[in-house]
Amino acid sequence: MSAPGGADTERRLAWLRGGELPQTHNARTIAALASNPGCARRALLDAAATRKQDIAEHAGFPVPFGMSPFALSRGVVFERQLKDDPGGLLLALLRETLNLDIAEVGFTDLNDVGGSPDLAVRHARTKAVLTGRPDQRGTLFDHPLLRFRVGGRHAYLEPDLIAFRHDDTFHVVEIKSFAVIDGQADPAKVAAAAIQSAVYVLAMRDLVGDTATVHHESVLICPRDFANTPLATTLDVRKQLGVLERQLSRIAAIDSVLAHVPADVSFSLDADEKGVPQRDPGDLLRDLKRVDANYSPECLASCELCYLCRDEAGGSTSVLGKSVREELGGIESVPRALKLARGDDPLPVPEDLQEAAAILRRAAGLRRDALGTAWAQTR
Amino acid sequence: MGEPVDSVEALEERIFALRAAVRRAVLDGDAGRARLLRRDLSLAEQDWDNALDAQAAGAQPGSREPAPDRDDDQPSAERQQGDERRGGTLLPLREQVHEALSLLQVPAAPRLIATVHEAFYATSFPTARLTSLRRDEERSFKTAPFARPYYICAALAADFLSPSRGLLAISTWPMERRIIGSLSPRVDFLVAAINVAQAIEQIPQPVPAARALLARFAANVRGSSSASSAGRPSGRIDPQAVIRAAQAELAVHEDQDHAARAEAARRAREQLDESEQLFGAASFRRATAADKMAGER
Repeated sequence: MSAPGGADTERRLAWLRGGELPQTHNARTIAALASNPGCARRALLDAAATRKQDIAEHAGFPVPFGMSPFALSRGVVFERQLKDDPGGLLLALLRETLNLDIAEVGFTDLNDVGGSPDLAVRHARTKAVLTGRPDQRGTLFDHPLLRFRVGGRHAYLEPDLIAFRHDDTFHVVEIKSFAVIDGQADPAKVAAAAIQSAVYVLAMRDLVGDTATVHHESVLICPRDFANTPLATTLDVRKQLGVLERQLSRIAAIDSVLAHVPADVSFSLDADEKGVPQRDPGDLLRDLKRVDANYSPECLASCELCYLCRDEAGGSTSVLGKSVREELGGIESVPRALKLARGDDPLPVPEDLQEAAAILRRAAGLRRDALGTAWAQTR
Repeated sequence: MGEPVDSVEALEERIFALRAAVRRAVLDGDAGRARLLRRDLSLAEQDWDNALDAQAAGAQPGSREPAPDRDDDQPSAERQQGDERRGGTLLPLREQVHEALSLLQVPAAPRLIATVHEAFYATSFPTARLTSLRRDEERSFKTAPFARPYYICAALAADFLSPSRGLLAISTWPMERRIIGSLSPRVDFLVAAINVAQAIEQIPQPVPAARALLARFAANVRGSSSASSAGRPSGRIDPQAVIRAAQAELAVHEDQDHAARAEAARRAREQLDESEQLFGAASFRRATAADKMAGER
């Protein structure tokens, strides 16, 4: 991945940031990049590596983001249960899922290097171990530290586990603490895990280069049903890899987004030496709104600016979700859609909305027939 | 109530003195005197029993508080001791850990140590308390090296000889056993499985906790139980089957693991001082944030 643009682009991004140090990405934020590819506001804030949470808060739309401490500790306990005994339960699970050979039991702890948690040292060690000779490589790697280039900067990523099989393929293993109940898990959480795995797969491919292949099938380990018994399933992340690659190339090509943004727009908080924002919130909000957003309800799960965009999108059809918006064709606002349905829009219906208007009228007719007298009361 | 107490204590002293006299007489070969002394001793023991019963009867109608637990006499009532009495054992934590590790014969994580102790010694302890144990042992070793017969110490990672995260070991084990190479987690798991299975075989009526422990091992050793799926033990497990299956797999890894461990152990003996051999190379460790925090505490 190449650095975005030249010095000019860098200068504009630094201006957007207000002279602060860029924020480092992690797997979660990189995964969030892929969730709404059409949003210029998000793309710009990410490319400039701003502190989105602080910006949202200062603009008057704070988000209660961050994991609950209970969820965090549950995740930690579940992972420790597996990792406490790497030669037992964890291995048995992966043997079943990945068909590991009986001799493939090597376990390498990459959580620290001789007790040193230094990131650069750990990354160097990870690289040395993972690109070593295949016959001396071992099989399981606990918390390797990968490095990934996003928007011209390096982000360190730490997958839970990487497994290496004798047929020269690496598999990313994600340990998540959401339950799989009767074979079903929360689709949103699985999707988030898949995209995170995809980030790790990309970073792994970057690291090992041609010496081995990184498989597009990741392993997801979750608690089964209502107990803490782990269950391993494979997850095909090819689609997520595609989305991610496209989105990352967009960050690299941020110039085209910047071209549509007025030069005086800035997301600076004008923080004083104590880090307290001094900028007028109204002014910040105005600048934020000068960049187009593409709100959808899914944003609530992943974007720090979601409440701002939802507020802004009030009355538009996008608030109702992507599927509703697509059904309504080009109709942008909810009141307009209602007027078209009732057929009492004083303006003539434009050519490109004819079809959508006809469908709406038909739907309104069906609803009138079904509800009978109740229909009159709703008017 | 004062009188019987005195007489019980006086009798205890007399019994003690008589035992010493019996011992001397027997060792001197004076059979006649020994017989007489033995008769006196048994009389004194009978008197002691009677006096104690009388004392207990005297204490009963009043309140039970004056008959205290023996431990309460010790002024150093540490928090730790309180916990242990509730758990049903008077052994200090380090000795309980030693018991469990001696059974397993391999370095183990706190959770496994606690589970093994619960299964075979009927008492458990919160694993959180084990985290500070190794540090306490290290401090004790540094103030007075080898003053204790054994220390609960670290297992060493084979690559940098740093303490392996979360694993505890016993200082009297050979260095090879305390080294953790790439294959060692699996090898140690299999050895632990064998030792647990053997220990269970010797118990006529294993408690449910012991059977659950064996089932956990069996579920993760291929071929040790008929219906085994990872982490889902079912039915009763045959210890012999576990031993056979574990030994079969152990044979695959043993040689390679042993070579790696021996090589690292040789390095450890050459490069590390006595304290580092037990608690791990400290070269990188000093700089870590966790240690700084520990130092400030």
